[in-house]
Amino acid sequence: MQRSFRIFIKNMKIKTFVLHVIFLVGLLSWVSDNENSWIQPGKGGILPAEVAFSNPNGTLGYVNVDGDINMEGHPFFEPLGTNGRACVSCHQPKDAMSVSTQSLQQRWNETQGQDPIFAAIDGSNNPKLPQQLESSHSLLLKRGLFRISLPWPVKTDNGKTIKPEFSIEVVSDPTGVNVDPELGLENGNISVFRRPRSVANMTYVMSPDPVFNIKTGTLAVTDPETGKVVGMNMMADSRHYTQKQQALDAYFGHLQGHNTLTDVQLKQILDFQNKLFMAQSHDKWGGKLVENGEPAGLGPHNMKAGKVHILANNNRDPIFHWFNNWKNKETMPQSLNAEQKDFRESVARGNDIFMFREFWIRDATHINSLGLGNPVRRSCATCHNGQMTAQDLAPGWVDLGTTTYPTWTENHLANQKSDLPIFKCTCNKNAAPHPFLGRVIYTTDPGRALISGKCIDIGSIVMQQFRGLSARAPYFVNGSAKTLHELVDYYDRRFDIKYTEQEKTDLVNFLSVL
Amino acid sequence: MNLEISIGDLQVRIFKLRLTNILVLMLFNSLFISAIFAQQKTRNPKSEIRNFLTCPIIRDSKTFPCWLVEYNGETYYLGQQGRSGSLFYPPQLKHQVLVEGRIKDGSRLCGGIVLEPVTISVMPELDLSCNTLLPAQDGLEPPPPIPYPENAPFADDTRNFTILFDFDSDFLSLHKTRIVGEVVRIAKVNGLKNIVIKTFRGTTLLSNGQKLIEKEEIAELRAGKLYDIFEGLGFAKEHIKLAIKTNPEKADGIIDVGKRRAEILIF
Ligand code: HEC
Ligand code: HEC
Repeated sequence: MQRSFRIFIKNMKIKTFVLHVIFLVGLLSWVSDNENSWIQPGKGGILPAEVAFSNPNGTLGYVNVDGDINMEGHPFFEPLGTNGRACVSCHQPKDAMSVSTQSLQQRWNETQGQDPIFAAIDGSNNPKLPQQLESSHSLLLKRGLFRISLPWPVKTDNGKTIKPEFSIEVVSDPTGVNVDPELGLENGNISVFRRPRSVANMTYVMSPDPVFNIKTGTLAVTDPETGKVVGMNMMADSRHYTQKQQALDAYFGHLQGHNTLTDVQLKQILDFQNKLFMAQSHDKWGGKLVENGEPAGLGPHNMKAGKVHILANNNRDPIFHWFNNWKNKETMPQSLNAEQKDFRESVARGNDIFMFREFWIRDATHINSLGLGNPVRRSCATCHNGQMTAQDLAPGWVDLGTTTYPTWTENHLANQKSDLPIFKCTCNKNAAPHPFLGRVIYTTDPGRALISGKCIDIGSIVMQQFRGLSARAPYFVNGSAKTLHELVDYYDRRFDIKYTEQEKTDLVNFLSVL
Repeated sequence: MNLEISIGDLQVRIFKLRLTNILVLMLFNSLFISAIFAQQKTRNPKSEIRNFLTCPIIRDSKTFPCWLVEYNGETYYLGQQGRSGSLFYPPQLKHQVLVEGRIKDGSRLCGGIVLEPVTISVMPELDLSCNTLLPAQDGLEPPPPIPYPENAPFADDTRNFTILFDFDSDFLSLHKTRIVGEVVRIAKVNGLKNIVIKTFRGTTLLSNGQKLIEKEEIAELRAGKLYDIFEGLGFAKEHIKLAIKTNPEKADGIIDVGKRRAEILIF
């Protein structure tokens, strides 16, 4: 695969020329150290205000509103904890601020498994396994999953006492971690395995809905510092309601930090997250996706300019706006070759399929159980309704079935072996049952229910933004879709959509340019 | 009047209800109930009432899917697929639905006799036998989408509010949280600091003579939820009074929907 690394520096004015030369020197040393552009913690160097990284489907572009970032001494990039990791370890610009299995495998080979990303604490299936063995890190290497250990039974959420409505038993656990007397359920912990989520475009992710949480019919959470309502779309289970809480938890957990993050460090981390915008910028032939601002749903500059928190599951101004210029070849730049033009037409069709191709959405908690009816004949955009990111604007947890039997993505013949732990959740008699799975639910990750303690939330996973998909395979919370094609196939099976092969290709092409 | 003050493990003080408050409450309740009675009794001869528990049926159509039910060999039309802002929230397959409705005028939509007004409640437990999806059939289409409710603000001098709940549910949907929002807005506008929340447990008299009573703790759940919300929205703990009526309301098959409620008074 091509591993070139491109840098775009725009608007280079003379007065900043000298500055840029200095940055370039810094950059060049960084590039030569890391020809595959993997950023190692503590390496220093500059992350330019505009920068791009290649991926199998083209190039992913970034714009940082704050200009160039000096990574030296920057808390997102420095190994501030005790295990040599930094935030950037698992949130790599080349991998859309997540990390792909391809990069992980490459790191394993290059460092003989010594890279801090494989740290026993959560970079292995079980910290008690012999860490030098590749097999002890199989979930990370094959599926890109880190171990997330959460307290169970959950006791509080956002300062409120929680009494769980269900109990959890381990049905099987190839990692052994959930049945370990110290690390496991017996000792008040549950381990689930999850993909890192992109840390960019965070102003969209964090944008709040109004006062009420439409999913629960109760008040939305507020930030204790500002008193303002927060968005609830961060993390697969929305367990952190502010970026500060999240960063501190990552510091103590992933980085195994022993002190704390200072206010200055926290501010730097948050500024970085909130000012970094990311989207695919070039197709695989090297052609710019965006010309004169169109299509308005693509590219990092449009991402930066976009309005946050716009409900867009409509035919007036759709999720990723329109692809009118791509609908026929006449309106495309003459410089494109025939293949490129075909591809763009396919993307435009893919957008329409995503927006408007209806199917029966059924048995999905927090969509079908929320007043829309079960089933409801709508499209992908019903759930993925937020403009520019395709996240849910409301708190985005939905039981799509990716982690719950009988529709889990693990493999659709449910009685086959899983390499993930399988849990049996049994709801209390007086609790409202899970709306479509009842009172006994098998799952590889109870998702939001681990935080809320509610039966109805079992298997509900917070959807993440669609940006940078080409750079961060595999997909879904448990890495069960290795490619975008597999992801589309899952939907085809799950909702019995009966897409044609052409429709599937169009959807995949569309997702690949976001 | 049965005024109980007890809400599970919520730490709430027991308040001395001043006589005036009780009087205000009683007056407002009786006005409310009699208003509903007056309205419904004249409009609803009992023969037009259809209250029953059954599996919902969804029929696809060229336009929007429509929701039907069968009862005693007849098909009834409940409503059509909408959006979260729509007033009608359709049933769910895999669940029985409690239908409390009135035959509109004998007209049919999507092949079913139109029930209007109609209230539906999705029964929480699974019933996997509820699984009928019928294909589209020419001529069986629902009417064009009904416009969203206007959601005009309540008048600033409103003091009494009623929130109706689905059977056995304490869930506050979009439409209900809007009322809550209005309570808070009007309290602020008028500088009113006190709130009384009175919650009830309903009974529905089915057309077959059977009675369905809501679960025992439902009034408490409704009170607890509203208490949390009003406290979260700025009412001081000591100014929130709860009156939870755990004895089920009497059912007459006509205004049972209106009794599954929370009544809110600000002063
Ligand atoms: C060992 C890998 C690892 C490290 C190191 C790491 N993260 Fe993460 N990060 C993850 C995983 C895994 C998730 C998703 C967890 C989940 O969904 O439960 C995540 C999620 C996030 C999210 C949520 C993004 C979203 O949109 O939901 C943010 C923000 C984030 N991390 C920031 C940080 C910061 C800041 C640091 C450094 C202090 C950091 N991370 C260090 C693995 C890591
Ligand atoms: C019922 C709601 C719902 C519908 C309909 C839906 N999705 Fe999703 N989608 C989700 C949820 C929930 C997730 C997160 C699941 C997970 O991570 O396991 C998700 C995740 C995704 C992701 C992100 C994967 C990643 O790892 O970042 C993509 C891409 C996606 N969906 C595409 C689609 C497409 C294409 C369609 C239409 C065929 C569609 N979705 C329809 C709820 C839905």
